[in-house]
Amino acid sequence: MRLTLQMLISHGRVARKMGLGPESRLNMLRNILTGLVKHERIETTLGRADEVRFYAEKLIDYAKKGDTDTKAMKMANFWLTVLLYHRFFLLVSLSYSDPVPSTLFCFCLPDFYEYSWFFGSSSYFLFSLWFQEKDLIPKLFKVLAPRFEAQPKGYTRMARIPNRENLDKAAMAVLEYKGNPFPPLQPAKRENELTLINQLLKGYREEQAQQAAAMVESQ
Amino acid sequence: MACRTVCRTLHRGFASSPAVVRPSSGGVHGQRSAVFSREQARQRALYPRTEKIEVVLHGPGLHGTLLIMNKGVSTPHSCARHLTEWHVKSSALALVDGEPWPLHKPLIQSCSLSLLSFKDKDPSLVNQAYWRSCAALLGQVLEDAFKDEYSVELLGIPELPVTSGAFCCDFVLDPQLDSWNPSEESMCSLIRGAQQLIHQDLPWESLEVTPSVALEVFSHSRCKQEEVEEKAAKSNNGTVVLYRCGDHVLLSGGPLVARTGLCSQYEVTAIHRLGEGAWGLHRRAQGLSLPFQLEAHHTVWRKLRSRATKLVTMPRESSSGAVPDLTLTQPPAPVHTHPPAPPQT
Repeated sequence: MRLTLQMLISHGRVARKMGLGPESRLNMLRNILTGLVKHERIETTLGRADEVRFYAEKLIDYAKKGDTDTKAMKMANFWLTVLLYHRFFLLVSLSYSDPVPSTLFCFCLPDFYEYSWFFGSSSYFLFSLWFQEKDLIPKLFKVLAPRFEAQPKGYTRMARIPNRENLDKAAMAVLEYKGNPFPPLQPAKRENELTLINQLLKGYREEQAQQAAAMVESQ
Repeated sequence: MACRTVCRTLHRGFASSPAVVRPSSGGVHGQRSAVFSREQARQRALYPRTEKIEVVLHGPGLHGTLLIMNKGVSTPHSCARHLTEWHVKSSALALVDGEPWPLHKPLIQSCSLSLLSFKDKDPSLVNQAYWRSCAALLGQVLEDAFKDEYSVELLGIPELPVTSGAFCCDFVLDPQLDSWNPSEESMCSLIRGAQQLIHQDLPWESLEVTPSVALEVFSHSRCKQEEVEEKAAKSNNGTVVLYRCGDHVLLSGGPLVARTGLCSQYEVTAIHRLGEGAWGLHRRAQGLSLPFQLEAHHTVWRKLRSRATKLVTMPRESSSGAVPDLTLTQPPAPVHTHPPAPPQT
């Protein structure tokens, strides 16, 4: 397309860029979402918490369909995974006769290897190391989905907290699933029952209740 | 002045209203105010040299603040003026060494002070003081409302809890007005009178006096003198507390709030007849008011106001004592201020 000035100006664009690209963004969100499902309350930067919120609520919607649903299971399997190392170099020795330890390959799911060199007798491979959280999938279907059975939407709550102390002073936020066992982030403000207007209203309510009781008795 | 009263009684032919035999109301109030001012000046003159006292403030954000104030001259109001404008505007009552203290009463020794407002954690003292003050204002309005030839005698302010829905003031009118019933316009004019007093923002000054001075203040009113004697008998040290607002001097059962400007919504809701009593036909004027910090929405106000038109009775008063036979808007229903059932919200 034509290189116009409008391409550089991002007025009205709502999609956020995170990390190194769209795939990196999804990986990052996947990590955060796994952490949220595991701990039910997490603290991240404001932008990331806002992005994860959409996926967190969608995940609950899928979980509500039940674990017999194939799509729901696929979603849970995809999202509840943690990326430990991204594109790390794995030195694989080809000349030696010892086999590469099989245990390492059990956990490694090489989803891509870009290039490998032959450097003498060994070669380098690029791997991404994923770690699937096996116990979070039952937690999602058995704990979180029933919790939000009655609610149509609004399963998460986000609250801003003071900026990070580092040099970047990033705006931070806390994201939590409602109904978590921790003490509330913002305790509900109760109006003072003893103020003059509340006392007058209390007297009014009592009188109404009395009159209602009297009407019921007389009938 | 004594001559005039004698002439008036002769002219009336010794009419049966022993409660009040007095000249014009303006003159009476002026005389009472003059005695009050004289006593106030005398009490101030007891401290000719400026002595300092230490006042420790307590309150949100004020713990342990020390103020050096003048003995016998500084009031909690002046302590508030050392803080912020918000403290001055919002404080209605003070707590000096744990006892309620009117805001314009001078401090006489080093003490601990906390300023109370309507939005504290526990504003029950302030609420009660506000209710009393509104009733006192109502009495003042009634005294001023009638023409000079008709006498108005305030009988007293019953101590009602706030949940009863209205404050009231018992009074007795001139016997010539026994058949008078308040119309809409007269209620409106009473409300207007009250709003004028509120707008003038008059402070309620308090003075602790000996019964003799109080009897001198109320020399024209037998009923008030009896009240003075009652109060003197009940009090700990035999003194009586007088309050003055503008020109009117009155008695009260407890501390009043700082000034009339604290009220914002104020309406006189009803005047009921209580039947014949010791001083004539007893009437009860009722009203409803809210302070400026707790203003009600008009829908809420309307509901509370409709409740305030009904006759309110004392919590332990038997209904046979108060016989209402005429109201403004609707027949009154007996209001029990302590219902057995819990409120259903």
